[in-house]
Amino acid sequence: MGRLNGVSSNDLVGESTSDNHLPEEIRLTRKRDCLQLTFNEGEHISVSAEMLRVKSPSAEVRGHGPNDGITVGGKKNIRINTLEQVGNYAVRISFDDGHDTGIYTWKYLTYLANEHDRIWAEYLSELVVAGLRRA
Amino acid sequence: MSISKEDVRSSLESVKLPESGESIVTRGLVSEIVIAGGRVYFAITAPSDKADSYESLRVEAELVVAKLDGVESVRASLTAEHTPGAKTSVPTNKVGASRNPSRSTSGKAAGGGRSTQAIIIEGVKHIVAVASGKGGVGKSTTAANLALAFHANGQACAVLDADIYGPSMPRLFGIKGRPGPGLGGKLKPMSGYDISVMSMGFLVDEDMPMIWRGPMVISALTQMLREVDWGKLDVLVVDMPPGTGDAQLTMAQQVPLAGAIIVSTPQDLALIDARKGLAMFNKVGVPVLGIIENMSTFICPHCSEESHIFGHGGARLEADKLGVPFLGEIALDMVIRIGSDEGNPIVAADKDSVHAKAYLNIAAQIWTTLEAHSDRTDAIPRLVIED
Repeated sequence: MGRLNGVSSNDLVGESTSDNHLPEEIRLTRKRDCLQLTFNEGEHISVSAEMLRVKSPSAEVRGHGPNDGITVGGKKNIRINTLEQVGNYAVRISFDDGHDTGIYTWKYLTYLANEHDRIWAEYLSELVVAGLRRA
Repeated sequence: MSISKEDVRSSLESVKLPESGESIVTRGLVSEIVIAGGRVYFAITAPSDKADSYESLRVEAELVVAKLDGVESVRASLTAEHTPGAKTSVPTNKVGASRNPSRSTSGKAAGGGRSTQAIIIEGVKHIVAVASGKGGVGKSTTAANLALAFHANGQACAVLDADIYGPSMPRLFGIKGRPGPGLGGKLKPMSGYDISVMSMGFLVDEDMPMIWRGPMVISALTQMLREVDWGKLDVLVVDMPPGTGDAQLTMAQQVPLAGAIIVSTPQDLALIDARKGLAMFNKVGVPVLGIIENMSTFICPHCSEESHIFGHGGARLEADKLGVPFLGEIALDMVIRIGSDEGNPIVAADKDSVHAKAYLNIAAQIWTTLEAHSDRTDAIPRLVIED
């Protein structure tokens, strides 16, 4: 697992989200199985550790260009070990399978939260196509 | 020739666990194998506490399968076997930095858990990067004079020379010697014209090249930031290396930069690079405080005629186009160059000169922006890790 900490153009996913809709708080829950995002109207959206792991913006998962990404399966019981803020723009999430190269920009997290159901449904079908399972 | 799952599975028999010598197949660690065209996908289950040591197995497995006839690509992934309750992950308090230290005490952190916002460099109010898209545009001269201008305007200011490969601050400030020990096991910065300066140039000879790999640059930068006794500062001016490489990215990712100032000549070529610098800072969430046009006009020392050697006003146009403030222009004057080379920057040497006034004016603008933005709480979400 290489440490590719660069900012690739791939980070642009969901970048159209405007700044004033970024979460106010990102909370790692006690059970370590999700991140809870709080938006300015007090609205909470949870994104599961599994979704964060399989949709990691790292080069390892997303590859180095379009159509170079992979489908990650078997992460149903993944937990988050820790969060680490990266500059002013992102958070690095370390998972308990050793994966820690994903740098999640505030915008990307917001995108995962806002489009949660669609992204999740797409992921489930990707799993079927790849012949993988969640657990 | 098409490959079968059985071929893949039997080839994986040769991949053995280091502890027991058992094959990963017999141990049942290999997932369902997926073959799409010539591409093979499978996963290896690793105990969650051994995920790292299983990485070499994963690589080995990929190599073995890749050797099979008809295989175009192999993607093996490690999946963790999570035994619930068996191992509760210990939350480490690895925290990043907050641009605005007052936020973590704003009392907004509702509910349990602790906020992970922390300050990297205590006592430093604003860290400002002076950057350029390319070398040779006078970035270091600008950084030195801006620091002197902040000081003259009444702000406590210091300079960090992050231009590892070409440190110019020792020469610009006319400082020689090596920094000694300071408080708390930190390094005491050198001082010139009442300004604390830290530079790699103090630690190596001027004509000694820094033949360094990226990771060494990063650790040197981190040390110069955190292990130097900066004292209480209003502004820390960081002279960035030119361009948009590893060192710049590190600074932007690991340092709570309040903003960046981009120095450019009016020449189109330089402006193209300035735009790249701007794009980089935008990407990493560092606000660009403005663009300075350096070497703006040339004033002939003999006849005082003004010539626009690199064109004129290009930076102002570019700033307008990009929607960032245009901070001002500095002329291409022999006096500035000579003062810089002699360790007597223009703002220190001749505070009433027209050039010094330009720097003072730019520093005042930057200070106003910094103070106006210091209570900005909208940009960075609060990170909370529940206990």
